[in-house]
Amino acid sequence: MTALHLRPASRADPLPVLAAAHRITDDLRDGLAGTRARRAAHRLRRLFGFPGLGLTDLSGALLWSGRPGPDDAVATVLEGVLHSEEPGSAPDVLVLPLHVHDELAGALLVVGDVRDAVAGQAADLVVQALERGRLEASAEQAAQAELRALRAEMSPHFVYNALTVIASLVRSDPDRARDLMLDFADYTRYSLARHGEYTVVAEEFRAIETYLALQRAVLGERLRVQVRVAPEILAVAVPYLVLEPLVENAIRHGIEPRSGTGLVQVHGQAEGNDCVIFVEDDGVGMDPKRAADILAGRVGEDDPAGLGLANVDRRLRDVYGAWYGLTVETETGAGTRVIVRVPRFQPGVLP
Amino acid sequence: MTGLRVLAVDDLPPALDELCRMLGEAPEVGEVVGAGDALKALKLLQADRFDAVFLDISMPGLDGLELASLLAKLSEPPVIVFVTAHDGHAVTAYGIGAVDYLLKPVRAERLSAALAKVTRMATPSGRPTPDAMAALPVESGGRTRYVRRDDVLFVEAHGDYVRLHTRGGVHLVRMPISRLEEYWEGTGFSRVHRGFLLAVGAVLELRSDTAGGLLAHTEAGDVPVSRRHARDLRDRLLEAAQHGQLGPGAR
Repeated sequence: MTALHLRPASRADPLPVLAAAHRITDDLRDGLAGTRARRAAHRLRRLFGFPGLGLTDLSGALLWSGRPGPDDAVATVLEGVLHSEEPGSAPDVLVLPLHVHDELAGALLVVGDVRDAVAGQAADLVVQALERGRLEASAEQAAQAELRALRAEMSPHFVYNALTVIASLVRSDPDRARDLMLDFADYTRYSLARHGEYTVVAEEFRAIETYLALQRAVLGERLRVQVRVAPEILAVAVPYLVLEPLVENAIRHGIEPRSGTGLVQVHGQAEGNDCVIFVEDDGVGMDPKRAADILAGRVGEDDPAGLGLANVDRRLRDVYGAWYGLTVETETGAGTRVIVRVPRFQPGVLP
Repeated sequence: MTGLRVLAVDDLPPALDELCRMLGEAPEVGEVVGAGDALKALKLLQADRFDAVFLDISMPGLDGLELASLLAKLSEPPVIVFVTAHDGHAVTAYGIGAVDYLLKPVRAERLSAALAKVTRMATPSGRPTPDAMAALPVESGGRTRYVRRDDVLFVEAHGDYVRLHTRGGVHLVRMPISRLEEYWEGTGFSRVHRGFLLAVGAVLELRSDTAGGLLAHTEAGDVPVSRRHARDLRDRLLEAAQHGQLGPGAR
């Protein structure tokens, strides 16, 4: 770190200097307008031994540590620096622009008899800290955006099948059509929900009940369903739309490709500190190798159900760690059982 | 009671028709008046007394939330229930003092739950105190014993009698289920079916099958849950789970 060169005396023990630089970086993580920027200013001044030091973002509002510079002179020079983006000076004060990723973010003011090079080192330290903070913030945003993108989308296949059935029932059985329309409203409302990342198991079960009511209307006698849930897991927080893609997958691969009836079972229970939910079908099953490929993310764009499974697995592991996520038990011709395992209590995961 | 006088407000004519129709079919409601915008609603409310207003939120001009804030300043404000297509307003709605918040399209069972709340607001008190029946006397072999409410897992209607199902067996008591429901309503029991009153904390598992029927599984057997009551039971189970009030002894 650049700060090491400043005070030769520190060479004997670089740890305090490194620690101070580290704390400054940390304090500037939220930027110059962040709540800890003032503390960063104090630490920076002490580290470099300046008589006075000021920090400002683009608003020009100054945070001072130690002896402030003369008000009038500083205001004029600062305005000039924020406009020209070039360093400026008044008697006893140096004003250095702070460029974060080549974009002006604010200025550093150094008061006292300080060499330009030393003031420059201080500005470099601030800039590096700000750049790092911004990178971290954008990495976090990217991760969140990715999670959002992984969230299940309504399957067009299902949406239009359901609407077709309802359209037909409007003539033959208006009451049933109305019930299904209300279910369809609930289904879309849940799928389009954008409030927060997490919901509770109770809502996930309600969503699959609605989904299954619609699927029963579409598939009729071919689909048999059993849903069982133990009340003690109802309040467990989980990401939105974890179960529905699994049930959709069970119907798509378990029931639809064959003639005759199929049974889909969903069963949720507590196992010690874990909440475990099974989604099971007695359908065509698959090669266990394919299941492994899906969970490893080796799945093609042309396989929406496989993608759905892989996405749920990714989201669960992102939230709860590699230990959790999906397990798939299957064999060709022997049905498929997908097991969701999540902790019943996870710090930071709140509906 | 003569029935509630209710004002329905929505700027979309088909939505207003539907809301008026559903309100008109509800047994609690005596009279329904519809208004196509907030101004018309305001005039009606100034000219006449209403027990409740069912109010759409997003309307041109004065919206539902603004109208509700105005109504709150009346000396005898009507009870307000919001009806909206978008569920982003719930927090604001309750802040204004609405008693309920319905999502469009409205389900009949949700509407009747809202009307129950309205009725409770419009006719305060008058119901029995919850602890009047903490134990019920049962006759067995010429002796009178008491069955504690906390030991009852569910109640089954049996003509003018009820059968109290406990872990230790079934006890017959002469009382209509609807009366027992009134006594036990605030004590963790829920009427989940015309013929069944269920201790919410006694549910070990909810089971549903192909026909869409729902069963609540308890240590003393399975209790059918009617479609109309399924939503309410799920809500109450979630609430109980959130407050750690599940399982034996938690009540």
